[in-house]
Amino acid sequence: MIAWPSVTLDNLAIQNEAAKAHRQGCISPETLEAIRTAHPVKLYLPNPITRVGLFILTTIVVCFTTGFLLLLAISGESASLRAMLIIAALLCIGALEFAISQKGSYRSGINEALLWSAVGLLCTGIFFESHHVTENTIAIIVFGLTVLGTLRYADMASSAVAWLSFLFIIFQQAMRIPHGVQALPFLLMALSLAAYLVTTRLEKRPALRHYADCLTLLRILSLITLYMAGNYYVVRETTNSMFMLELQPGQGIPGGWIFWILTVIIPPLYIFLGIRKKDAVLLRTGIILIAMIVFTVRYYHSVMPLETAMVVGGLVLTGGAWALIRYLHTPKNGFTYAASDEPGMADRLKVESLIIAQTFTPGARSTDTNPTNFGGGSGGGGGASGDF
Amino acid sequence: MNIDTFSKLQKEGLISDEEMQRVTHTETTRLFSLHWEIKTALYLGVLLLSGGLGTLVYKNIDTIGHQVILLFIALLCIGCYAYCFRHRAPFSREKTESPNAFYDYALLLGSLTFVTFIGYLQYQYAAFGTAYGLAIFIPMVALFATAYYFDHLGILSMAITNLAAWAGIAITPFQVLSQNDFSNHTLIYTGTVLGIGLVAMAELSEKRDFKKHFAFTYRNFGVHIFFIATIAGMCIFDNWYFVWFLLAAGGVYLTWFRAFRDHSFYFVMLAVLYGYVALTILLTRVLFNHLANDFFLAFMYMIVSTISVIFLLVNLSKKIKQP
Repeated sequence: MIAWPSVTLDNLAIQNEAAKAHRQGCISPETLEAIRTAHPVKLYLPNPITRVGLFILTTIVVCFTTGFLLLLAISGESASLRAMLIIAALLCIGALEFAISQKGSYRSGINEALLWSAVGLLCTGIFFESHHVTENTIAIIVFGLTVLGTLRYADMASSAVAWLSFLFIIFQQAMRIPHGVQALPFLLMALSLAAYLVTTRLEKRPALRHYADCLTLLRILSLITLYMAGNYYVVRETTNSMFMLELQPGQGIPGGWIFWILTVIIPPLYIFLGIRKKDAVLLRTGIILIAMIVFTVRYYHSVMPLETAMVVGGLVLTGGAWALIRYLHTPKNGFTYAASDEPGMADRLKVESLIIAQTFTPGARSTDTNPTNFGGGSGGGGGASGDF
Repeated sequence: MNIDTFSKLQKEGLISDEEMQRVTHTETTRLFSLHWEIKTALYLGVLLLSGGLGTLVYKNIDTIGHQVILLFIALLCIGCYAYCFRHRAPFSREKTESPNAFYDYALLLGSLTFVTFIGYLQYQYAAFGTAYGLAIFIPMVALFATAYYFDHLGILSMAITNLAAWAGIAITPFQVLSQNDFSNHTLIYTGTVLGIGLVAMAELSEKRDFKKHFAFTYRNFGVHIFFIATIAGMCIFDNWYFVWFLLAAGGVYLTWFRAFRDHSFYFVMLAVLYGYVALTILLTRVLFNHLANDFFLAFMYMIVSTISVIFLLVNLSKKIKQP
């Protein structure tokens, strides 16, 4: 089912494990070398920057090839354009299979570009000028294609799209049954919870080891959809726009308190469980969702002005981090502040410094937007810097 | 680490019993690292704090009074710097390890508030009069000094961004293409010179063995700026585009050889990609613009050439992987 030979992927996992063990000083360089020769990997595995470059180039090729094919059929009927789109999609699949079987291309950026374009082109080809297709059919076809993509290429993005389109299908179906609307948030939450529990089990199954990354992503996503389905903002605004309730600002939804409780309680629960089980997925998802609590509460209740909230939040975060660093000065309860053994690509690329440079605006333009300007014409052009 | 994998390897006789014991010991005593979480919290905290303080000050200017605000910003800035001075490692020409993550972000907050301080001074009191350049120049010098003295790559990036702003270019990663008006000829000249200057700084840092690890940041900014400027030059100048092409080609040549010497595939890829873009623009100007009705040829060129570049990159990355 999976496109690469199972042995090769196993060898890749062995090599990665051995490299990790070597970094931690558990095995000698000679052993590492012996393991590498005993379990060779004939795959093309470029580093992240190369992947980005290859992804862009492949996308360019696909665009121009599709354009070329469409140009050939430009004078014809819509059926011939549709045929060309599908031919282009098949060409992508063919190229992808060639790249994998002949060149051993694995997560190289070429794979992703070809697979995603193939799915996109196929969908465009199917839905092109078809006016009677319902949203439900589109969702089902997208779901089918992405599931196939996930199974064959273990592609993480495909599995994510498959999960979301599955939820969309459920959403559409639930609208048709009586009282389905009221039950919908709970139905989606129950499904997400089930998905989380199932993927957590499956992730540890040796038989599914090649799909471990997809399953991890699905775990994160199902945690997020579990929260979002019960989030007050999501529920209120969706019901409002879908069913024309025409709620006034400040007006709540029936049974809103349940969703308020869910909104506030789920992320801390994730964090608590994450700490207890020492599970990074739960912990980090919970931390990210805390931001969603802040957003939801602030959207409906102006607790304090934004800037005060920013200062307070900043003080809490900085102070909390400082306290944690001091607390974990010597490791406690199985937690440590020391970096883990995985040297991220982020370190080598100095990503952090680029992010700092991005979020830092050296003012020149920002002064122009100031409404009050009593510096006697100091506003125009390269004014003072830094005005945060 | 996966114990099962290693017990399999042990059965195959690839790792010794002693090594297996070490693996098991490391794995069972492994701690859960909160490094990533704490660093993110610190970074977000510093951003929120500096952003929130800025807005707070801006909104309450009438009630607090300028001196109080200035004093507060100055105190925060001095506080951060004082903390860093107390905890810093002694100055060295090499890379120095920061004592803890909090130190890095205290330094960042200090630099950000310093920039705000100077900006506020200029905005409110026009402290530097009409010498607007000075209001960017002073923070720039301070940022460079901080980056070198305390050894902080993030602040070096800020300093370089500030240097470019002083020269009139926006080089923040996501704004480099959207915020610059490339039809302005001076901008292209400045960009070219700035790019060369930054790469020269990278070379100097390595040659003089002075903060060698800064070289990547300098070169990264420099190479991008240089190529974007010369390629913009190729598009803008109708008569002199060939000169700009030669400049870009020279840049590709130098980047290529330098990158091979360093075994840095990143710069090889940059050289290939920018070189390819420059060549395509040259061909478009020389050839395709004069073949009025034969755009199939242009399409074929794009498809074939891009595929060749992909193959070239794949082969190069294999070659550089095994130095």
